[in-house]
Amino acid sequence: MQPKVAVLSGFGINCETETIAVFEMAGAKADRVHVNRLVNGEINLEDYHIMAVPGGFSFGDHLGSGRLMGNRLRFGLRNQVRDFVKAGKPVIGICNGFQVLVKMGLLPGDDDVSLTQTASLALNDSGHYENRWATLEFNPDSHCIWIKDMTRIRVPVRHGEGKFVTSDKQLLDEWEKAGQLAVKYVDPSTIYPSSSNDVLPYPISPNQSWRNIAGVCDPSGLVFGLMPHPEANHSTWLGATWTRENIEHGEGEGMKIFHNAVKYVREHHSSFE
Amino acid sequence: MISVIDSVEVTTRNLPDLPDSRGNSIKKLFLTDHSINIDTVRIALRYDIKSNLNNLQIKRAVSDLFSDPIIEYGVSNSQVLKSNSVFPVKPNLVIHVGFKPGVTDNAAQAALDGLITLYPDISQSSQIFTSKVYMFWGIPADITPEEIAIKLHNPMIERALISTKNDCDINKWNILNIPIRKSYSFTKPKSINLEVSDDELIKISEKGLLALNLIEMKTIQTHYRLVEVQQARSKLNLPKNMPTDAELECLAQTWSEHCSHKIFAASIHHVDDETKEDTKIDSLFKTYIMNPTLDMQKNVEWLLSIFHDNSGVIAWNEQWSLCIKAETHNSPSALDPFGGAMTGIVGVNRDILGTGLGAKPIANTDIFCFGPPDYDGQVPKGLFHPRRVFRGVHSGVRTGGNESGIPTVNGAIVFDNRYIGKPLVYCGTIGIMPRILNDGRQSHIKTPSIGDIIYTVGGKVGSDGIHGATFSSLELTEESPSSAVQIGDPITQKKMIDMILEARDSGLIQVITDNGAGGLSSSVGELAELTNGAYLDLSKVPLKHPGLSPWEILVSESQERMTVGISPEDCADFESIAELHEVEATIIGKFTSSGAFEVYFGKEPVAYLPMQFLHEGCPQLELESEWIKPIHTVIKFPTHDKESMGDILSRLMARPNVASKEWWVRSYDHEVIGQSVIKPFCGVNHDAPGDAAVIAPIQGQTQGAVISNGIVPRYSDIDTYAMAAACIDEALRNAVCVGVDLDLIAGLDNFCWPDPVESLKTPDGRYKLAQLVRANRALDEVCRAYNLPCISGKDSMKNDATINGKKISVPPTLLFSLIGNHKDVRKAVSSDFKEFGDIIYLLGETHQELGASELAFMFRDESNGVSGIGGEVPKINTTRNLALYRSITNAMSKGLIASAHDCSDAGLAAAVAECCFGCDSGAILDISKVMSSNINVDIWGTLFGESLGRILVSIKPNNCKEFEKLMADHEYSLLGAVDSGDNIAFINSGKTVLSASMSKLRESWKGALNGESN
Repeated sequence: MQPKVAVLSGFGINCETETIAVFEMAGAKADRVHVNRLVNGEINLEDYHIMAVPGGFSFGDHLGSGRLMGNRLRFGLRNQVRDFVKAGKPVIGICNGFQVLVKMGLLPGDDDVSLTQTASLALNDSGHYENRWATLEFNPDSHCIWIKDMTRIRVPVRHGEGKFVTSDKQLLDEWEKAGQLAVKYVDPSTIYPSSSNDVLPYPISPNQSWRNIAGVCDPSGLVFGLMPHPEANHSTWLGATWTRENIEHGEGEGMKIFHNAVKYVREHHSSFE
Repeated sequence: MISVIDSVEVTTRNLPDLPDSRGNSIKKLFLTDHSINIDTVRIALRYDIKSNLNNLQIKRAVSDLFSDPIIEYGVSNSQVLKSNSVFPVKPNLVIHVGFKPGVTDNAAQAALDGLITLYPDISQSSQIFTSKVYMFWGIPADITPEEIAIKLHNPMIERALISTKNDCDINKWNILNIPIRKSYSFTKPKSINLEVSDDELIKISEKGLLALNLIEMKTIQTHYRLVEVQQARSKLNLPKNMPTDAELECLAQTWSEHCSHKIFAASIHHVDDETKEDTKIDSLFKTYIMNPTLDMQKNVEWLLSIFHDNSGVIAWNEQWSLCIKAETHNSPSALDPFGGAMTGIVGVNRDILGTGLGAKPIANTDIFCFGPPDYDGQVPKGLFHPRRVFRGVHSGVRTGGNESGIPTVNGAIVFDNRYIGKPLVYCGTIGIMPRILNDGRQSHIKTPSIGDIIYTVGGKVGSDGIHGATFSSLELTEESPSSAVQIGDPITQKKMIDMILEARDSGLIQVITDNGAGGLSSSVGELAELTNGAYLDLSKVPLKHPGLSPWEILVSESQERMTVGISPEDCADFESIAELHEVEATIIGKFTSSGAFEVYFGKEPVAYLPMQFLHEGCPQLELESEWIKPIHTVIKFPTHDKESMGDILSRLMARPNVASKEWWVRSYDHEVIGQSVIKPFCGVNHDAPGDAAVIAPIQGQTQGAVISNGIVPRYSDIDTYAMAAACIDEALRNAVCVGVDLDLIAGLDNFCWPDPVESLKTPDGRYKLAQLVRANRALDEVCRAYNLPCISGKDSMKNDATINGKKISVPPTLLFSLIGNHKDVRKAVSSDFKEFGDIIYLLGETHQELGASELAFMFRDESNGVSGIGGEVPKINTTRNLALYRSITNAMSKGLIASAHDCSDAGLAAAVAECCFGCDSGAILDISKVMSSNINVDIWGTLFGESLGRILVSIKPNNCKEFEKLMADHEYSLLGAVDSGDNIAFINSGKTVLSASMSKLRESWKGALNGESN
């Protein structure tokens, strides 16, 4: 079967083109779905196997990145989104999409999918937007289906508000224990695995995120979000230093994430509710 | 009923490890830009809400909308400063900054949208106003609150209210009133009597900011004397023998220098004192720009659409075409750097959207010219310090580009004292279209029919941006109008772009164009040429605030609007797509074949302009041009040894024109769309400068597009021919460095000139016009030789400022932008040296050409003018260069070249240093061969000269033999190898002539333009 992916668009989302491309490269069928087509019932979210909220500047990041789009989903699509997650289908939010999922309470989330916000993404300590490459390390103890068998990848970060924080530090321990802190910034000169909770120096950690957190998953491991852009490293010739490397050209380091989800759907779609 | 005004204030919560980064940024800004060290700055965002919501609803909105429940503290109908837990110690100074009435407030628009999500039944006339409360602790004693306030806001668009220490001591924090705009009352169209004296005609033009000269005013006067015109007007119930205000405004817009390029279309009498040439040139544009391209078009099939549309279109492959356009937004950026620059970038994006039946913008380029950031002279009244212009422009372009999801892939920043009067802000955009649309039409050809319905799509019309086109055709004075300043709204535009592209792919669009300069008068006026007429009803145009006069609606340049023509049977489908995207689309008229542009306000006639008079009635200018070769003091070279030469290189690397712009460029998104192959930075530490950008716009495919720019205004001081030739060669060299396909390259010329029309105010107009003639001749000759057709372009001809009676003119500046094909991006080459031991070659000929070089300007600045810039400027040899470029791209396609870098600003020595940055390497290089191959070139010319046609490459040792074979017919010098040490050294005949530490050079190069103090 060919998994179907709903890639959300509209209101300033702007990474939908490459997000559609990576899912198609991974063998899925991906559609650009304007949020309002879900609100007005023209398109049913339940017809899809995967939902992706791409990066961008929804509503210009005014009132906090992802806030207004998060509200549109939280209030306008509440039941559709909850049913989708409860059906056991994978969801990904990248950059602004991650901010949306965090602000609407889907990440780090809870078992009931109550859509209660428990974390946030604050302004980078630098105080401004930056586009630079970072190295990510995936948590080998995480059950997140999106990062299966992944160790490290190099991808660009492109954000001004990516510092993962929460108001209750105890929650961090709980998420850590549950394997929900799925991906962290890491010093590329160290040997895998070496992720650390001590905040790494700038720019290894581009935003001074707590515990170097770059992305998290929900308790089920199906909903995943991250600030960096794996979809921007879909081909080897898009790497930051590819002209210095003796490589065989082909898929880029970010593709594995999308392959994981497509594979998961192929193996589990019969159990979707 | 709306009666209540509520307020919400939001600030960062006090959590451990959560700084108030907004406040910290302001603290850093004061330290970096103004050397003012403030202990602490905090910021609260304030929203004043005019709505019918009750207290409880507002309270809920604080946590559900305005503030983030995890990281922010928010209050309604109170002030955050009142909280003793958040602010246990109260500030010494508070400044409240808000917009002036009528200024675009994007955050407010977003907040209102958010409020509607929470309360769908909220009153439709609800309004929100945003502002910022700045709180300061520990301000140096010698700094007044007013000094702080003026650095925080731009009085042209913003207001500031200070709460001094005395106020703060009694916990009194003053708040601005909300910026309610006084309501306009509708004024009926006036008619203007032109049967007056010549002096009066000029006064009418000047008073109305029409920028029409006497001949043009008299041409209009004559038009209204024509019997057939008077008869037609009587029938329509328009004043028979005089224009309405709307007609005069519409003519002024259409005939403005900005819209009709009168100087480039002028008849020029050109005299050359050197050669005794005495000729007439009938239109620079036709002679030197259009004709060469038309000639080249005979030999290629890929020039799809040139000059007549909003951007030029080339066929990139069988499926896709690319288009490119660059615009300038100089005057608005001088007055409001942030808003002006943002409007510039989102404006040129619309040129792409308005090309053919609609193209998708996929890459931006930004090239700025500013006064030096370290300028310590007096800044003329009414203008900003160049550093503030730089910050504002950068921030505006960053916001406009990033929020639109269009990567900024390439650019440059050039500094010169003379840009203090007017900064130049060039914004360029590249677009892509499927060559054949789903409905079978070719995308680059508009298909209008008589009877097609005219829509205005996107933003509403306000009084912002009235007179932009005519204003930019005037010089800048202290009285320049603030209405010419606007702030773009990238999200409204992004929604519109999504919507238009969906409508295009659904086959609904027949014609489309952008509303930029001149507003509807230009957009509808121009499209009307296609069917020979249009009818427009201004009463249908959606307004931001009621009561605008018809002429204001007609010429307002309010942003984010497209004019679109739709077949009557497609209107319902078009409107439903607009509704889905939450984009306003309104019918305002239809295309006719009446031969005239007919404008009404409801039933009331407002304007009737015959198409021919509107578009061809403007009389050709007749101008005088005279070339006299300028004389300059020559360069005085200091005595030197290897250490002092190393120090000179270090100083050159810290010159703003050469220094790293990384801090600034990093805050542009250059990778959205997932297509970025050669990025602005390369090298092991991602900080070495790239040459051209390479993108692979179709994800997963390996065909690419190359984008590069050339700009060298320095040479204009000696010869604009050399300047223009150097720009084109630089753009092409940069493209060659990444491996461009030389058989598919196209160019874009953007002239920014001082006023070249001789007058009392411009006594040197003949010389400035001669400079323009020479630059155009270079464009013609070099583009023909390189088979590099210009497909679009733009000119801005009044880049002067008169401040306190003193005229400041920009140096004649040409930006040459290039777009080219790349056959296989996997073969693209970056500028950084790759491995220790790789062999370094200089390709091309070096001549003694130091006139107006970066080195000459540095010695001039350091000696206070005792040393001059005089000397030979680089001469171009297009045949030799092109042959070399072909051999280089050929070697690249064979994978023989490890790195390639353009050798330009500050010459060979700077180029070597930049390549070393990318490899954390040094280099010990022998320049004996370069010196011996040309007896005229000395050590200065070799190390720092900027001869054209030169590229620095590195080659893997085992590829050298094959590489040298390919270079056999060209001048090349093997210089040495990439070295693992920290030293960069140049040796001539066994003697070290320059020695420097790479880590020290890196420090100079990276420290000079860092945007924040550490």
